[in-house]
Amino acid sequence: MDTEPSPSHEMTFSILGSAAPVLAPRVGTLALAGRQAIATPNLVPLTSRGTVPHISHDMVRKETSINSLYIGLEDFIERKHPAPLYNVPAAAHESSLRKFICAQDDATLLLGPRRFPAIACPPNNTETSIAISTSVGFRQLEAHRYIEAIQKLKPDIAIGLADMVLGRAPGLKRRGKMVDRTHAYTRDALEHLYGESVANEKKSKTKYFAPVLPLDNTQQSLYLDDLETEFRDYIAGLALYESASLGFIPEALGSLPRLLLSDPSSPHEILREISLGADLVTVPFLQGCSDAGIALDFAFPVPEAVQARGEPQPLGLDLWSSEYAMDVSPLVEGCECYACRKHHRAYFNHLLRAKEMAAWALLQMHNHHVVDRLLAGARESIQRGTFEEDVQAFHRAYVADLPDRTGEGPRLRGYQMPAAGPNQPRRMPKVYGRLDDLSQKFAESQSSVATPDTDAEGLEKHGFAEKI
Amino acid sequence: MQYYATLARLRPRLMPKTFLAPTAAMSTSAEPVRKAMPSALTFDRHAKCSTTKARASTLHLPHGSVPLPIFMPVATQASLKGLTYDQLRETGCMLCLNNTYHLGLKPGQEVLDAVGGAHKFQGWDRNLLTDSGGLLTPEHSISLQNSIGSDIIMQLDDVIATTSPDHARIKEAMDRSVRWLDRCIDAHKYPERQNLFCIIQGGLDLELRKQCCEEMVARDTPGIAIGGLSGGEAKEEFCKVVDTCTGLLPENKPRYVMGVGYPEDIVVAVALGADMFDCVWPTRTARFGNAIVDAGTLNLRHQKYAHDFSPIDEGCECVCCRPTDKGGLGVTKAYIHHVTAKETVGAHLLTQHNVHYMLKLMGAVRQAIIEDRYPAFLRRFFSNIYNGDKTKYPEWAIGALRGVGTDLLED
Repeated sequence: MDTEPSPSHEMTFSILGSAAPVLAPRVGTLALAGRQAIATPNLVPLTSRGTVPHISHDMVRKETSINSLYIGLEDFIERKHPAPLYNVPAAAHESSLRKFICAQDDATLLLGPRRFPAIACPPNNTETSIAISTSVGFRQLEAHRYIEAIQKLKPDIAIGLADMVLGRAPGLKRRGKMVDRTHAYTRDALEHLYGESVANEKKSKTKYFAPVLPLDNTQQSLYLDDLETEFRDYIAGLALYESASLGFIPEALGSLPRLLLSDPSSPHEILREISLGADLVTVPFLQGCSDAGIALDFAFPVPEAVQARGEPQPLGLDLWSSEYAMDVSPLVEGCECYACRKHHRAYFNHLLRAKEMAAWALLQMHNHHVVDRLLAGARESIQRGTFEEDVQAFHRAYVADLPDRTGEGPRLRGYQMPAAGPNQPRRMPKVYGRLDDLSQKFAESQSSVATPDTDAEGLEKHGFAEKI
Repeated sequence: MQYYATLARLRPRLMPKTFLAPTAAMSTSAEPVRKAMPSALTFDRHAKCSTTKARASTLHLPHGSVPLPIFMPVATQASLKGLTYDQLRETGCMLCLNNTYHLGLKPGQEVLDAVGGAHKFQGWDRNLLTDSGGLLTPEHSISLQNSIGSDIIMQLDDVIATTSPDHARIKEAMDRSVRWLDRCIDAHKYPERQNLFCIIQGGLDLELRKQCCEEMVARDTPGIAIGGLSGGEAKEEFCKVVDTCTGLLPENKPRYVMGVGYPEDIVVAVALGADMFDCVWPTRTARFGNAIVDAGTLNLRHQKYAHDFSPIDEGCECVCCRPTDKGGLGVTKAYIHHVTAKETVGAHLLTQHNVHYMLKLMGAVRQAIIEDRYPAFLRRFFSNIYNGDKTKYPEWAIGALRGVGTDLLED
């Protein structure tokens, strides 16, 4: 992978080796001034409150190839505005977001309004704001505040505000509204960030990735038309929310990098996204597996040793399983990640059962490495022109689904939990209930005060007292 | 109980002739009353404070040399609370603890035997110390610690709360601990690579502690621990016990005060002649968002730190506090406030800082002893914590240090 910081002050995205602009896998390089160039297709690691979950910053730098981060603004919003990260002392050219989260200088920072995957919020989006979930509850993020955030925080890339409906399929009317609102958010943002009314030196240096809604192209054709014409000069990339959107990207926008914010269920699906022309992908299952104690185990193109095994191989190992209790082999034989170099399966089995945080930290490093290698393999395969065959071989070599989750993961925080609306069931089983009940009964039985064997109604019937 | 007792009787006495000769490391000054106790350590004394009883030394153990006095972080279940062992190395740690009881439960002796001990199991190639685990019998405890393979193992002792009013019970516990030490010595399979430390008991009764010291010292273990403290006793009592014991212990052996503690306790105990300390507090408090600094402890969850963009501890050289232009992460109080108790990374970062702080503090303590300026160090240390306000200095510390010729209130 290229590690040289790009010398130019602009973002460049150069596509190699692919003739078709859409619906075909492609290899490219995304280079931003001062940042490590990103070879595409590649992974954008997801963050929570500015951290790659479980991997502390020093380990990220020393032991992973992470060179970009997706950050959700909602993770930083507090009761009072302005939130602390706006007050970070930073020089004019520095990003206060980068300073606040202590991210390395050469990592590309992508700021979105919400975490990814975002939690569905009960409050509705409005013409001028979207509902967000913060650690202090649900809030509205006004479109102008988000623009302000881009200006002040100076991320390398900002993902435009979109009116999304989460957790249910939007109806026909709602879909129309989604497009109209997103259109308006985008127009507004571009005007305030880069518009003619903005003095040259005040124009934002942040690159804007315009959202494409997870809807049919016919439903958002007006918006897409504007992206192609009126907005074209101001947008530096596209943010997509489902792989189907890759199918209708207008030719005029074909040269823009495509960030696919999706939640693939397996590596097969990542490969499918790539085959449709995704440049940057997100892989929430990576952390999901780490939390569940699953070490990913797949490689692309399929190594000969795996091919030789004949039957489809599992995509990972569930380290909770007691079969690993004495297994001193690395998570994956031959893997070069930190966890595999330093530790064996028996230790992971122990850490998980002991609920030690190191389990998740080490598994995250391993799983990042496996997905990172998958994407590197995909790039090479595309360049070799064998991508399609390699994908087919991958389908033959591995089973379709990730292993089921059996063990417990880390404790989930409110901002990681879907809110099911009012009267949602308890997150944790009630622990003390039974005891309370027993002790109350015991106290009653021991009480020197006579306790009637009947309820209020019964007492009233006997004329003992009046119920009020 | 019966089972293990039988086992112990059946086991041949594991004292090969070669071990009868005292090793180079050992001093012959203490007359071996019983059979010679082999040692897998050497203890080099470098300096002794000319005022207090503080000592600076180096403890050479099978997995590397440890500068003393030292603080040992506690990796209870074969993992230091989310840190990788390379992160622990980075803090300068040469010796950390595992808990025998926990390792006996998970992963269990069978796994430890199969893997080849706790070093291999957790991927830590520096030294380990295990506590006795408070298990069934001395034989069981030692057998487990032999399987763990820790560089320093502790005898099984009978610990009762120092605050217990039952004097007969305290005496019984002390006598029992001595008897158990004999059984531990008998059961110990690898004295040539694992150092068995005895544990002085006797509650807060100085007479009992004296008797116990005499009995234990006669058994000539490679190192000596003072146990049964940090159980809620008054600090004055604690200091008296440490002071009394160190006065009776041979100069040529490391002294370990178990379960201590706070920086203040440690610097005072060093002045009273102790060398080794362990406590979960620095790592536990880190997970709750508390940073240890020269001025005490900062609760970074407090709202006042939300907008504080200074490093956790100005001038600290840990990976978190070091500025980015010096290869550090440039972590601020505000960022720890943002992630603490919400993201595991918040715990990892602050744990690194706190462990680094404790080891750095011990390094400074050692340097001060070597340069024979420990009393001045102590005055400076307390002045930092209490912001120069001598009226706030704890009485116990003033009293204990006065006992070793150091007046904290002097300018």
